[in-house]
Amino acid sequence: MPVSLRARPWVAALPALLTVAVLFGGALAGAVGSSLQPDPVAGGEQSLAAWREVLADPAFHAALAFTAWMAVVTTVLAVPAAVLVAVAVRGRAWARTAAALPILVPHLLVAVVTVAWLGPGGLAERLVGALPVDVVRAPSGLGVVVVYLFKEVPFLALLILAVWDGDIGAREEAAAVHGAGARARLLHVVLPAVRGPVLVGALIVAAFVVGSFEVPLVVGPTRPETVATYALRVTQVADLAGRARSAVALLVTTGATLLLAVVAAVALRGRHG
Amino acid sequence: MGRTRAPRLWSALAAVLAGAPLVVLPLRAVADVWRAPAVVPQELGTRGLATLASPGTRAGEAVATSLAVAAAATLLAVLLGWPAARALRDAPRRRRLVLLGLLGLPLLVPPFAVGSGLAVWFLQLGLADTALGLVAGHLVYVLPYVVLLLAAAFGSEVRKLEEVASTLGAGRTARLRFVTVPAAARPLSVAALLGFLVSWSDYGTSLAVGGGRLMLPLVLLPFVGRDPQVASTIALVFLVPPVVALLALRRVWR
Repeated sequence: MPVSLRARPWVAALPALLTVAVLFGGALAGAVGSSLQPDPVAGGEQSLAAWREVLADPAFHAALAFTAWMAVVTTVLAVPAAVLVAVAVRGRAWARTAAALPILVPHLLVAVVTVAWLGPGGLAERLVGALPVDVVRAPSGLGVVVVYLFKEVPFLALLILAVWDGDIGAREEAAAVHGAGARARLLHVVLPAVRGPVLVGALIVAAFVVGSFEVPLVVGPTRPETVATYALRVTQVADLAGRARSAVALLVTTGATLLLAVVAAVALRGRHG
Repeated sequence: MGRTRAPRLWSALAAVLAGAPLVVLPLRAVADVWRAPAVVPQELGTRGLATLASPGTRAGEAVATSLAVAAAATLLAVLLGWPAARALRDAPRRRRLVLLGLLGLPLLVPPFAVGSGLAVWFLQLGLADTALGLVAGHLVYVLPYVVLLLAAAFGSEVRKLEEVASTLGAGRTARLRFVTVPAAARPLSVAALLGFLVSWSDYGTSLAVGGGRLMLPLVLLPFVGRDPQVASTIALVFLVPPVVALLALRRVWR
């Protein structure tokens, strides 16, 4: 009897899988089609002209480098910060709830708050005088990184806590019985156990940084652009070729994030067999 | 030992860092005049609220569309995600990972990329600029989150309860109504809440597939550089569902 209650994985998951396959697959096919043929309704000859133009465009190269730089900086800073936040709020429900607030708040809203605090003439300047560095619209992308850190550090921290609250507790206890202090338990028991989920979380964070454009639009510099803002700008020209160039830029981003996912999957597989 | 607590000061610091920055929003929203370098506004007023309510801003229309699209996308995601989450529970490890990878794939791709591609495809299908197309565009991102969160609902405890009910003669409908749904109610509500927020917060898909339909993030963005007071007022409206979600989730995390 119990066996009959088990869902048949592929059959039960089929509606969701089909939905993702049709919508996501259709979107990718639409983007590829658009990159080769700017006007999908009127038709016309397919060509790789948009690909050649974008891949040779120095502004696109700059956008690619800037986007990669921000994804790396955000992810590298977010992971250790998330460990600290997880340690800080563990065992206190009120602190955990408060720390979760940024996860629920939209990115655009965090960008608005960042401008209000750290923008020129913002509240921070009024309270402490001139800030040592420009944040909002800084060419370094600092404003963008600040927004992402505020949003993604709690996300990664809760991911760590979800694993930590599981069976790691028992292993920690065993380590404590053998005389391991709090720091040794964190370094040698907790961190190795949360490495997998954190890697997956970091991948989602990096993918989001690469793809989101409302945040760079509000707090990012005009130049360099991110790939997403580049893709938006080129659609704002009157000719249809802009749409094809935008599709190329977005497909390059998609390829990069999917490649990153494959690398992460291989790394995880290597670690866990 | 597994529940070691950090010093209270650390916890308080983390909580303040997460929550305090948002306090600026209500202050900025009521500051009719707030010239630098004053730390407090020179004049309080309701100019932000008046602009929000004025017909030209079309905020009411945007809120209604955002709410309707988020509700529809969440409902569809729960209906489609429920059996998929059960399948994830019952699948062997390798198959579970493959399923997770396939269902989670959209999370790795920029919303504007998916949205632009969908816009082109919907044009060919005749779905361009329709409400159905907009909901479908949002579903691409809401569904993976809902499935991942729902998967947590169907632990081995739920299956054991279902097995007991089955042994006692409960049919499929009775099991679902009296065992599965009540046992999974909390994670189900968390998944629905967070799914709703994913759609509520989305900018890229709405811009690409919306076909000029106003959604709240699209109304908010142009005001950020132009009029911080109105931007903060709209942001406060934008903040309502996340705060409601947080209050609801407090009970789950307690």
